Amino acid sequence: MFVSNFMSSPVKTVGPETLVSEAREIMTAGKFRHLPVTDNNDLLLGIITDRDIRSALPSALMGENKKSEDLPGIATLPVSRIMTKVVTSLSVESTLDDALILFGENKVGALPVIDEENRLVGILAVRDLLKAYKELFGLGERGSSLIAVRDDNKPKPLTRLTEVLEARQVPFTRLIRTDTDEGGNLIYIRVHTYNLSAIHHALAEAGFEPIAPILN
Amino acid sequence: MSTSKAFVHISHHRYREHETGGGEHPEIQARLEEINQRLQGLADFCKIISRESLSAERHWLLNIHNEDYLLRFEETALSGVSYFGHPDNQLCYDTYEIALLAAGAGLNGIDMVEENPADVIFCSVRPPGHHAEKAMALGFCFLNNVAIAARYWQEKYERKRIAIIDFDAHHGNGTQAAFEESSEVFYISVHEHPTFSFPGTGYAEEHGSGPGLGATMNIPLLPGAGDIEVEKAFSRKIEPALNDFKPDAMLIGAGFDGHRLDDMSGLAYSSSLYNHLGRKISALAERHCEGRLVSILEGGYHLPSLGESFSEYCSGLLQLP
Repeated sequence: MFVSNFMSSPVKTVGPETLVSEAREIMTAGKFRHLPVTDNNDLLLGIITDRDIRSALPSALMGENKKSEDLPGIATLPVSRIMTKVVTSLSVESTLDDALILFGENKVGALPVIDEENRLVGILAVRDLLKAYKELFGLGERGSSLIAVRDDNKPKPLTRLTEVLEARQVPFTRLIRTDTDEGGNLIYIRVHTYNLSAIHHALAEAGFEPIAPILN
Repeated sequence: MSTSKAFVHISHHRYREHETGGGEHPEIQARLEEINQRLQGLADFCKIISRESLSAERHWLLNIHNEDYLLRFEETALSGVSYFGHPDNQLCYDTYEIALLAAGAGLNGIDMVEENPADVIFCSVRPPGHHAEKAMALGFCFLNNVAIAARYWQEKYERKRIAIIDFDAHHGNGTQAAFEESSEVFYISVHEHPTFSFPGTGYAEEHGSGPGLGATMNIPLLPGAGDIEVEKAFSRKIEPALNDFKPDAMLIGAGFDGHRLDDMSGLAYSSSLYNHLGRKISALAERHCEGRLVSILEGGYHLPSLGESFSEYCSGLLQLP
């Protein structure tokens, strides 16, 4: 559940004096859009993004003459002039929940991960988070699918439910119990078996009404 | 009301010896008995040629499965253990040999259709194949009969471009994986949506990878989907894709478990849908590859509807009025 398990590390970085034009080449070559800026001791100074560079460059719609006047100037700017200095970041102790919250609150596509001394140790992109949750939920695990049942509100529901599955030697790998105000709790299970119909019947007999996946 | 086409039915009496433990296991010999009874009905309309399959030779299997897997499969069967890998994959002492005969059926079918492309070929086999991967048995499949046949067709007869249409209710993860990176084998599957159905693969977003990008098409349907959804999928997606691909030969993963009475899926097809599919598939094969078409049984577990759907499908393939 820790971001450190899913982040990219080591990270490609640039120094504050690196020119904008060079930063752009690095991003294009590496096919990424976020480039942390660090000093010689890996201290995080800022972050420059593909969007920062595109905003700084003259518009593609400008006339040819104007472009060639501006370009040399911009090309020789150091990244420190256009980078974001106050960087939203994660710590080495952050969990996926922290990342989820930060991505939800901030319009960023990637979050640097720093240690207690503000040194850069990795970077977590939105894509990395999606991959982490995909693995967490078992998406695409061969032989599995998700079934949903309604909690019967009697004691020890999870014990009774797992007993049904274990009695039939049906492996299951994910169990999610939700807590809703209206309609009662739902329980989602990722089961690994071909015979879903038999599982639905067995769970229904044990008091867990299967929820049919119907679009509203 | 008959046709000059011959219907070639390839099967083997030893398939009945593959034991799946009894109890609730749906993949039983009675399925093939049901199909065999229906052959009588077809005989009123066309000539039936029945053939027993031969074992697939090892080098054809090695195109799809690795050596170590084949050894483990054989050892497990001979050891007396009741399942291989997962309790769903029930087997018995003879299962390995029987699986070789099942894999061989498709190869024999290909030999026959190459000799007489006008004939209609159906291989009634068990155990089924489309969930079996290179080194993994799954969903009571051990050897991937359709995948093995596809590579055989490419190598022995140099039919480079093979289209596989899999209309079993479950995604054929094994067949897709075998040709994930191949641009020459186009795998098309219409199945119950993977979020709600075994084996949890076959999302619409999967299109193949590397050189095979664009040569995989998945059409997942929500539980409750029926004939109309499949007909639309066929006319709007599958036919246009095949018109672009222009196959040299076609293989069909013919599973009948999408029927509404079949408990193994939440799909709600009728038996007459399979007649529609038979006609469409036969027409596509005539249009693109001179009728080079072989159908191989996958799933289908509710016996009466399996039998009825099989009859309808074959009548469709024969283009009986």
